[in-house]
Amino acid sequence: MKPGAVKSRSPRGMAILAIVLIGLLALGLFGPNLGFPSFYLVLLGTICFWIAQTSSWNLLSGYAGYFSFGQATYVGVGAYTTAVLSGRHGVGFFWTVPLAAVLCGLIALGIGAVAFRLGSLRGEIFALLTLAVPFILSAFARINRDVDGGQGTTVPPPDLPADLDFQQFQYLLALVVAALAVGVSYLVQHSRAGSALTAIHDDEDVAEVLGVPTFRYKMIAIAAGGVLGGIAGSVYALQIGFVTVESVFGLTIPLFVIVMAVLGGRGHWLGPVLGAVLIVGLQDRLSSYGLDSWNAIFLGAILAVLVATAPDGLHARLRARPWAALIAFVVVCGVLAIANVWGEELDWIVAGMLAAAAAAIVLGSRRAPSRPVAAEPESTAEPEAADPEPADTADTAEPPPVGDVVVSCRQVAKHFGGVHALDDITLDIRAGELIGLVGPNGSGKTTLVNLLSGAFRPTRGEILVDGQDITRLAPHRIAHVGMARTYQIPKPFTSMTVRDNVATAIMFGRTPMSLRQARPLAEEHLATVSLGHLADAYPASLNLHQRQLLEMARAIAANPKVLLLDEALAGLNPAEVDNAVRVVRRIHESGITIVIVEHLLRVLNQLATRIVVLDRGTTLADGDPATVMSDPAVVRAYLGRQSHV
Amino acid sequence: MNVVQATLSGALIGGLYALMAIGLSVTWGVLRVINLAHFGLILIGAYLTFQLTTSWGVDPLLTLAVTVPVMFVAGAVLQWLFDRLALSEFNSLLVSFGLLIITIQVASNVWSADFQRMDAAVNPYATESISIGRLVFPVTTLLAFVLAGLVVLGAHLVLRRTFTGRALRAIAQDSAMAGAFGVDHRRLSLLLGGMMGTTAALAGTVFALSNALTPETAYEWFGVVFAVVILGGIGEVLGTFAAGILVGVISGVVSVLWSPATAPFVLFSAIILALLLRPRGLFSTGAVR
Repeated sequence: MKPGAVKSRSPRGMAILAIVLIGLLALGLFGPNLGFPSFYLVLLGTICFWIAQTSSWNLLSGYAGYFSFGQATYVGVGAYTTAVLSGRHGVGFFWTVPLAAVLCGLIALGIGAVAFRLGSLRGEIFALLTLAVPFILSAFARINRDVDGGQGTTVPPPDLPADLDFQQFQYLLALVVAALAVGVSYLVQHSRAGSALTAIHDDEDVAEVLGVPTFRYKMIAIAAGGVLGGIAGSVYALQIGFVTVESVFGLTIPLFVIVMAVLGGRGHWLGPVLGAVLIVGLQDRLSSYGLDSWNAIFLGAILAVLVATAPDGLHARLRARPWAALIAFVVVCGVLAIANVWGEELDWIVAGMLAAAAAAIVLGSRRAPSRPVAAEPESTAEPEAADPEPADTADTAEPPPVGDVVVSCRQVAKHFGGVHALDDITLDIRAGELIGLVGPNGSGKTTLVNLLSGAFRPTRGEILVDGQDITRLAPHRIAHVGMARTYQIPKPFTSMTVRDNVATAIMFGRTPMSLRQARPLAEEHLATVSLGHLADAYPASLNLHQRQLLEMARAIAANPKVLLLDEALAGLNPAEVDNAVRVVRRIHESGITIVIVEHLLRVLNQLATRIVVLDRGTTLADGDPATVMSDPAVVRAYLGRQSHV
Repeated sequence: MNVVQATLSGALIGGLYALMAIGLSVTWGVLRVINLAHFGLILIGAYLTFQLTTSWGVDPLLTLAVTVPVMFVAGAVLQWLFDRLALSEFNSLLVSFGLLIITIQVASNVWSADFQRMDAAVNPYATESISIGRLVFPVTTLLAFVLAGLVVLGAHLVLRRTFTGRALRAIAQDSAMAGAFGVDHRRLSLLLGGMMGTTAALAGTVFALSNALTPETAYEWFGVVFAVVILGGIGEVLGTFAAGILVGVISGVVSVLWSPATAPFVLFSAIILALLLRPRGLFSTGAVR
């Protein structure tokens, strides 16, 4: 996504899509009568098939980043459903398509239910798991010979409408399916699901903690991908006419899909379309010159070189240098056409497209690093310069009165194997408190934060928020109950602007809303943490202090009751610490209860209304700062051993 | 009796799976590179053995004198490339997938896509077998098993007992920190890449002894070999060997009891179960790798 790109749905984009679709439909309906060669229709039909496949793959693997090597599952099941039912059992073609869709959707849900329940699932393992599925299915088809008769199945063409020939028909069908897939891909990208999937792509744990129901959105994405892939596979059976295990379950299908998506770009709905057009065009030209044996070599080289040099894909590069690409296309295409010494129209067009792609990729990379960061200079030394709020009120304003118990830990323990990270913690957190959580390294502070935010489940004991036991809830449910946290090492969503980082948290917070509604609110939260001037910047251009402020803005964006700050001041210089302290105080005054893990006792003495000291997993002291700090046990355990603090 | 024979034959074939998997597993575990091109090295190794034997009548095992150094260099070059590109773990999977596709297509252009097998006249190993009582073991699978055992033992000893091995394990745990303590990451990773290339040469030669070759076989190895890598635990040398045997036995027994075609079905179902229950590998002690 380019900076400044408006991510909300634009009527203009929809209109352009609709016009292109109508144009292509008209081409299919009337083109042959006007002398449009029918082999172009075949080629366009092939392009449409791959657009549909790659777009369906992109829903999960592109948007959410779960790379699948298993697209052949859907192509195979879809094609087999149609081929076997219509070819061997006489079912009408149009009845088989929805059946294929349902079947593939169910298989996708099955894969998702297994894969996404794996606790320690990593992207690589998911990729290999999806690789195994087509193997299993093709083995199944081979064993049960009565599925396809053991030889493959011929797909009978359906009854055609009177004035269409078969080429036109298969092209129009493929076009409709491709339009459906691209449409879904477009709508998903511009919906709540799109924001959720991007958040999952960037950092799944953070997304979950901010309230995104990650499992649900991954299931939606994989199921939608399965349904679309199945429909396209079903139409593919008709296109190829004869279906065998090798032709639809083979590795070439995921290979093509991956190369197209990597080439086109995976974060945007248009990427797979671009990739499919280019790759199919190139393949077609290579085979027209009898270079079929070079096909795979080109594909492999494109994949290897692009992943290493331009992992963001063609789409982003084209947006960076649209004119250079256009000029390259016009020049190459024009020179070839005028000189007319080599090839025919299609060669010239494909050559022009390749030139445009090359120009965009090479030139776009030079522009890419200089992302337009917000113009204001860094303001960490004098943070007040950019601070829109009168910060001096902080010291004079009364802290909110302490109210009822919000969070209640009852005999909470967490063991990692034999290590007792926390033992028997009983702790009440009251509304309006600002609790400093201190203790030597390894005393269990971060473990307690992880338990409260739901990242871990306690071994024993219960944690109540407003009387509700949260120990069995998923982290996103805990977020909706009113718990938010920051991370010691900031984990921003790297592909979103600072504003959208916060807006995503608002969208999936306690009161769900759309991205458009969330953005203005996000600016308010950014102002609270003095980051308003960096709303359009990307996290990569922020320094540590600014990232930690962003963490806080994102955490309060979900409108929490309790905010857990995990070492939010670590690694800051004194001026930055002062600024961060002001921000924490401002958040506290807005009515949010805060638990802050911190080593700087000087800071906690100023800030905290109460201090809890942990040592070796138990509560050593708990009370107001002055009393706790003079407790001999605390001095011995904490200050004594770490006198340099 | 059939089942006993199938179990033992399966275990021996499992040696070949382990031999194929070990390079993948170690580079993944130690160097954080998922090197699919390793399959390409095995394939080219097998074809080189086939070509040398067929053209000049060399004994197939003697071709190792050529394939081992060639694959050592190829493995090291690949590793150098991955190092230079500084790829993430996942991107290494994609880049090496691209390289594998190229390798397979090149093999197909050079040696054709048809099945090719070494002539029985030049390949005395293919037809010989050793029988113990009523059990019969083909020499080729015995050879694969012994070689795999030696490689695994060697790799295990190198990784556990030698200074180089300790340095490699340090890289596996934290390569930046290992570097700070003076471990030369680049040189060692080249060495390791070369060594894993060597295992590919061995696997390729052994495969060529008993099987007909076609470039597409490289894809067929995917499933079984990754099953072995994941079941054995990524980077675990002994685990890989054990998992290879286990996978071989499962395939062998299922083939006899039901039909050969059901073997992959059972196998992959077993892998999914294993992933659900023991995601770090069957033999892991639960320690973080």
